Amino acid sequence: MHEVGIAQSILDIAVNTCKNNGYKKVDSVKVRIGKAAGLLPDSLIFAFETMRIGTEAENATLIIEEVPVSGICNSCKEKFSVDDPYIIQCPNCGNISLRIDTGRELNVSEVEVS
Amino acid sequence: MKVKVVANILEANDRLAAENQKIFDELGVFVINLMSGPGAGKTSVLESTIKEVNGKIKIGVIEGDIAGDDDARRIEILNTPVVQINTGGACHLDANMIRVVMDDLPLKDIDLLFIENVGNLVCPAEFNVGEDIKVMLLSIAEGHDKPLKYPLMFQTSSALILNKIDLLPYTNADINKIKKDALSLNPKLKIFEVSCKTGEGISEWVNWLYSMVNNKP
Repeated sequence: MHEVGIAQSILDIAVNTCKNNGYKKVDSVKVRIGKAAGLLPDSLIFAFETMRIGTEAENATLIIEEVPVSGICNSCKEKFSVDDPYIIQCPNCGNISLRIDTGRELNVSEVEVS
Repeated sequence: MKVKVVANILEANDRLAAENQKIFDELGVFVINLMSGPGAGKTSVLESTIKEVNGKIKIGVIEGDIAGDDDARRIEILNTPVVQINTGGACHLDANMIRVVMDDLPLKDIDLLFIENVGNLVCPAEFNVGEDIKVMLLSIAEGHDKPLKYPLMFQTSSALILNKIDLLPYTNADINKIKKDALSLNPKLKIFEVSCKTGEGISEWVNWLYSMVNNKP
């Protein structure tokens, strides 16, 4: 949820990165969005394309890298990597004690400027 | 030219939440973020809690609603320090809103602070405001399908209060299914079955609160 607020934050980070490095426009913004971060990529793109109007990122492309939910089972020690945001059982042994390492990211990773 | 960045988009809220938590920790306040759908009984649970505690520990409340101050007035009548936040439209409280009103409470004289979030089974679970734990409510009238429909709230909570158990004879809600599904999402979830109307289960809930407050480092 809250794709609009998140899109605004992405824009702020991108525009600040552009200005702080002495550039004039943002050509693209790469973001890492975890599958368990609660965001719909299509909605995020829609929000971003609405909010970028009138900013240095007016023509910027939003590139979304989705990060799966991954980690390791504390019981059988098998690693797992799934697209299920609410995973609670090890896909291998069914145990519920999991260490989740990735999947809730909400990061800007790269801003292309010129 | 490509500029590598490592910028956490929610950094601002997380940073503020950590700052809030530091202030609460320094003043020895145990903070509970209380969440539920609208009408599940958050304010009623607070009223029942305050009456049962009866001054044994000092309670304070931050009320969060889109509009109005009904909830704050109900708490005020019970001689408990309270402030009301009106979000004006935001569907959840965030760390900044808490930071703004914190100073209006006598935190030095509060052992247990409840932050009653906006009625909403979705968004509050996603935002930290500086609390020690999240506690959620579900009322029997909401039905037994809610855990599987709103998993995040059940997963991020330390305790679940099942309220309005006095209504069990009048609904089709299967309380065992609620508990089974909730525990399948969060095996460590502590579940309390209460009725604010009859008082049933309130003392067990309050005893758990005492243990949480006492165990705060």
